[in-house]
Amino acid sequence: MQTPLRIDPAKAIADIAAFQRKLAAGMGHLRDLREPEYANTPRELVYSEDKLKVWHFTGHGKATAKTPLLIVYALVNTVWMTDLQADRSMVRNLLEQGEDVYLIDWGYPDGADRWLTLDDYINGYLDRCVDVVRERHGLDAINLLGICQGGAFSLCYTALHPDKVKNLVTMVTPVDFHTPDNMLSHWCRRMDVDLFVDTMGNIPAGLMNYVYLTLKPLRLNQQKYIGMVDILDNPTELENFLRMERWIFDSPDQAGEAFRQFIKDFYQGNKLVKGTLEIGGRTVDLGLITQPVLNIFAEQDHLVPPDASRALGKHVGTTDYTQLAFKGGHIGIYVSSRAQREVPPAIHQWLRQRD
Amino acid sequence: MADPANDFIRDYQALAQQSWEAWTRQFQQQPAANPFAPPPAPAAGNDMLERTLAGLKGYFDWMQAAAAGNAAPSPGADWRQQLQQLFGGTSQPFVQAFGGIDSAGAESFARQWQSWMQAARHGGFADLAATQGPTPAFGLSREQQMEQQALAAALMASVQATARYQELIQRANTQGMQRLQGKLAEPGRQVDSLKGLYDLWVDAAEEAYAEIALSDEFRDAYGEMVDAQMRVRQLQQRQTEQVCQQLGMPTRSEVSSLGERLQALRREFRASRAGASVDHADEIVALRREVATLKRQLASASAVASAPKKAASEKAPKKVPRPTAASRSSASPRKRK
Repeated sequence: MQTPLRIDPAKAIADIAAFQRKLAAGMGHLRDLREPEYANTPRELVYSEDKLKVWHFTGHGKATAKTPLLIVYALVNTVWMTDLQADRSMVRNLLEQGEDVYLIDWGYPDGADRWLTLDDYINGYLDRCVDVVRERHGLDAINLLGICQGGAFSLCYTALHPDKVKNLVTMVTPVDFHTPDNMLSHWCRRMDVDLFVDTMGNIPAGLMNYVYLTLKPLRLNQQKYIGMVDILDNPTELENFLRMERWIFDSPDQAGEAFRQFIKDFYQGNKLVKGTLEIGGRTVDLGLITQPVLNIFAEQDHLVPPDASRALGKHVGTTDYTQLAFKGGHIGIYVSSRAQREVPPAIHQWLRQRD
Repeated sequence: MADPANDFIRDYQALAQQSWEAWTRQFQQQPAANPFAPPPAPAAGNDMLERTLAGLKGYFDWMQAAAAGNAAPSPGADWRQQLQQLFGGTSQPFVQAFGGIDSAGAESFARQWQSWMQAARHGGFADLAATQGPTPAFGLSREQQMEQQALAAALMASVQATARYQELIQRANTQGMQRLQGKLAEPGRQVDSLKGLYDLWVDAAEEAYAEIALSDEFRDAYGEMVDAQMRVRQLQQRQTEQVCQQLGMPTRSEVSSLGERLQALRREFRASRAGASVDHADEIVALRREVATLKRQLASASAVASAPKKAASEKAPKKVPRPTAASRSSASPRKRK
């Protein structure tokens, strides 16, 4: 059989030399770059409590939407993925479409937040944020956009406080946590979460990041940085890369009790789809969600497999359910150029028809 | 006799190594001199930098080794054997990549493990606990002896659990190699660059890893490893807290307990405040009902009083009165409210 390895030694040496040259030339760019900033779309603070802040994005023009949209992000990572950089900002795109956008920034929990439960987050913080936006607009109900874990929170909230939500949009939201391709769920199924939280208290962000890296250890820990060498001589690309690195690793710790409950009830017990989930002593019944629901998921999502999100359609009570599959991954759905073209306009169109 | 080809490779390797070291040195340099800045960290032993660059250096070392020894297949050489040499050595990128993140996660734990194990050995408990299980303890230091034994046993259990996990990682590596061979054996497949070979290997290794990581065996090993590490950590924390108590310092448990009580109080406060507002709302509703009843009674009393006048006026010619401002507003008391 003919060898499939046709690597010319001279070419191999030349490749290594080129790699070296790129490293050496890129050094100057790397050292000269400052900490990359996020998009920082103009915003005003409208509410704060403990470490939480609610931001209202002001944008350039007046919003055309009658009902404001409150973004509920996950507790893991920071909310700035929604406003990462000027030309890759979901928030900015939504504003340009005419939406009136609010965002909950959960902040960085510390020891004082160790005992915050899901009840505190959903029936406490989230409910008060919704009330603030409702009061500002004199409305009984507003639109919610829940992202990832924030999507699961939004589902719980809508089921528990249906009068306060007009339309619900969920993005890359896990609903069925026991699909066979859910690696995170698979790994934590047998661990003793009580022992884990009792020992760790709050869960350090570094540990969470480590777990995420081990989902694809070679791609995320090595191949990605080899790819970085190719863009070391391109300051713009390099800055974008480093901005993403900042977002990935500058992440908050997890409040211990909320983490315990989320792992036990969602990941291990899969109670959201079983209808046995209780938040603050009340059962969360997805069947009680009769508002219009738009469910957007990513087809190449390695954190929230598409089937985990698709399951929502079988469990919500609404007759107005729309599902949108995005060709991309868990992060690309916010920041890829395709996402800029497709996702915010789709959300706006869908909301406008129901405004 | 001189071998120009090998000399070139050796020279190149030396040059490349120097370049890499120069690159890392340059990375470590402080920018402009700042009289208020703290002194720069020593270049040697910069742990954070080494960790950051570990994956990149792994790839670089692998490329060099591959170029020096294996990238020039002699005609008729067995490419499968050549592949094993390319990815089987200590410089293989899998070890660098996975070993890097694994040690980053477990490094502090491993360091702790060594120091605690050493301390336990001094006490003569670690080996006993590891080989024979816990032995009865007595006397004034009974509690400390028992705890030390428990810690030694937990450490051993953790080492075993981690070894089981590592075994599965190594299996993923082996299966990744097999998959790579399979990919290369596909009809028409040709690889003409080291980067191309590396990327294909990453695809194969990730596929193999994903398959193992989704197995029941991995799930059990993962859970066992996490639990075992937590048991060790919990016992270590307990011993640390005892030292803190002896020194009169507040412990994490005490602070955490205060936090729990504070959070419970906050919940009670919010609930009572919400309850109070619910009570007010109930009172307002009751008062509104009472006012509505009184209005109805007043209206019916007025109707009774005006009935004789109405009967008398019916005999008179009909005259349509023009509504006044007062009558318009009194006609819709609910709206005024």
